Amino acid sequence: MNEQQDILERARQAGQPFKTPEGYFDGLEDRLMARIAAEAQPETSRKVRIWAVLKPALTLAAMFALIFGMGYGVLSLTRTLGRGEVSTDVAGYATAEEEMIRPASLIDYYQSNLAEETELDEETIVNYLATELSFSDLAEIYAQSY
Amino acid sequence: MTDQEILQLYRSGEREKAFRGLVSSYKERLYWHIRRMVLDHDDTDDCLQNTFVKVWQSLDRFRGDAQLYTWLYRIATNESLTFLSRQQTRGGSLTLEAAGRLSTDPWFDGDQLQRSLYKAIAKLPPKQKAVFNLRYFEEMPYEKIAQVLETSEGALKASYHHAYEKVKSWMKEEIDARY
Repeated sequence: MNEQQDILERARQAGQPFKTPEGYFDGLEDRLMARIAAEAQPETSRKVRIWAVLKPALTLAAMFALIFGMGYGVLSLTRTLGRGEVSTDVAGYATAEEEMIRPASLIDYYQSNLAEETELDEETIVNYLATELSFSDLAEIYAQSY
Repeated sequence: MTDQEILQLYRSGEREKAFRGLVSSYKERLYWHIRRMVLDHDDTDDCLQNTFVKVWQSLDRFRGDAQLYTWLYRIATNESLTFLSRQQTRGGSLTLEAAGRLSTDPWFDGDQLQRSLYKAIAKLPPKQKAVFNLRYFEEMPYEKIAQVLETSEGALKASYHHAYEKVKSWMKEEIDARY
């Protein structure tokens, strides 16, 4: 243990083995300030250029968003007024859409909601699912059932 | 210029004068710390300049809750670690290669023992290398290293002990292989 410590201790006591180019440390402050000054300017004009390009594009995008939003609002309002009652199935469909990755919950939805409304029998549901779901989805449902 | 004088000068509005004082006080210490991490002079120069540029950009955010000294070492160490990790991402280690070429490096004036030391250190993982260098070369207290590397003292002591044993073992292997 002592002999090995001596190796590391001897290496440390041998001093600094690295050299630098002549005069490297002299004027380092000046070189740094020059670099800082050079980097500061282009960034400011870069920011101005980027904003000059983005501004009209953002303005256009905001206008389209406003027009679209107004149009959608008008359409929703007229649809609502035309039908009298708002269908409560929208919330249920949205839930089923969110759970589309889970075929079992999709089946639950169809069995509990759509089937009741449209009076679909089990055979029709099975045929529909067989054509709409992939083999791996069906295998997963089968695995979950047992 | 002391750290207090530098900070007072900066807060009084003499930003450039304070920064020049800071660079003058710390340039050599930080240079050698980075050089022992990355070995090559040009790479060290890049990392050192990047360090001071970051210091210039962040000095107004320096709250003084840490010492200026540990704050500067933290920035320099992170800059070195970023450089080393970029090397690893590119699928190689220029530092390990540089360590292997020390015998022909005009900027290295050490003997065989020192060459084997730096070759062994180059094999350490970057962060462990930082721990080893700060403790072994700079004899920095663990409390300060903990502030630099934002790691617990306990973890640092374990890391240093492990690194010390590995470096010792690798040096012995190389020396034994030669004789």
